[in-house]
Amino acid sequence: MNCIAVRDQLPELAVGVLPQREQVALERHLQWCAGCRKEAAELGQAAATFAFALAPAPLPVGLEDRVVAGVGRLAARPRTRRRPRTVIAAVIAAAIAIASLGWGAVMAGRAERFAERAAQAEQARSRALAQFQHVLDSLPFQARADETHLGQLAPTSAIQRGGGAVLQLVSPTRLDFVVVIVNGLPRDPSLAPYRVTLKDAGGRVLQGGRIAELDADGGGQAFRQFKNTDLTGFTTVMVRDASGRVVLKGTVDQSTGA
Amino acid sequence: MNARTEGPLLAREEQQLVEGLLAGNEDAVRALYVRFARPIFTLGFRLLGSAEAAEELTQDVFLTAWRKAARFDATRGRLSTWLMTIAHNLAVDRLRRETGVTRPTLVLVDEVPEVAAADEDPLLERDAAVRALQALSDAERKLLVRAYFGGLTAREIAQADGIPLGTVKTRLRTALIKVRRANQDKDRP
Repeated sequence: MNCIAVRDQLPELAVGVLPQREQVALERHLQWCAGCRKEAAELGQAAATFAFALAPAPLPVGLEDRVVAGVGRLAARPRTRRRPRTVIAAVIAAAIAIASLGWGAVMAGRAERFAERAAQAEQARSRALAQFQHVLDSLPFQARADETHLGQLAPTSAIQRGGGAVLQLVSPTRLDFVVVIVNGLPRDPSLAPYRVTLKDAGGRVLQGGRIAELDADGGGQAFRQFKNTDLTGFTTVMVRDASGRVVLKGTVDQSTGA
Repeated sequence: MNARTEGPLLAREEQQLVEGLLAGNEDAVRALYVRFARPIFTLGFRLLGSAEAAEELTQDVFLTAWRKAARFDATRGRLSTWLMTIAHNLAVDRLRRETGVTRPTLVLVDEVPEVAAADEDPLLERDAAVRALQALSDAERKLLVRAYFGGLTAREIAQADGIPLGTVKTRLRTALIKVRRANQDKDRP
């Protein structure tokens, strides 16, 4: 979906009457499009005004204690309880399909000027995000829009070139996973392997996979599935070269899908 | 956690409340309940038509909020909007699931009798919400009510009124933008 089609549907999303099938596609777009997401939030806030304008009904006696007890029971349970349904094969197949598509020589980092490199990096990120839509569509189950999250990776000052994208599945019923696709990185063999790390706000770090070598376009992909770890909150994603320098960095938006 | 129960919340305070909810902190849950349970219950009562269903909805909203709490980001939107969106989605889902249940007769704001003053907690959002809705024409207000409370899609409204689908969408959008603009003076401090 493009932004024009999405914005056409945002009013219906805001008032909660958008058909489910269209809602899934729209919410996937919102995960990576900040402009549409902002408009969706504003329209949603406007729609919620109606609920607040109703004359209040008296609350049942004892409801507060029942709510507190219900949340307490949930919070006391182990947070992660998933059916171990693997999607490794499907995701790897999809990632390989993406790699085989190739992003063309323009992404080989051949630009001379900074502006060209910046444009290439932006193009790399945009194309990677678009390809992730194909990954989601190719999964053998319907990935829920509120469980799949996308992010873009931008080059740091260490190399000032390349780009990438991140796809996370954060699900209460399936094993969480992360896929990272990069492109336009320097093909200097001494910089490989590249390693992906995920970090949460508390500073906890997870390894997100390894890119042993790059293809002709300076591209590659990393994948990792997590059997016992919940990826909730692990929104900062970094790609480091062999010396430990952060060469790409970005954030995954896990806030969408309420 | 000693959360304020009156006055608009700062983004930082909203985030702390949701983090408290996620941790199962009783004070945080009670603070959220004091602020938001009544509008949630009221919405459920108007949409689902009974106190029992509204009570179930209220409990479900808090449990769903706990499940989604890790993804709440106060810098992206207000806590009140987030909770009311959860409430509205759950209520509409329930209405659609329960085929055979007649949609309740929807009562507009001005037609609902006020509850006794002694029973009315200061609803932080209500006065501002009523003021914001005054920015709408009667036709715009009725259109939004049919969609938001009646659950009618733009296509259903277009067919019922015999007007183009695009016109309904445009009117919905215009009305929401008017409310949004009227709301801006009450945005979070």
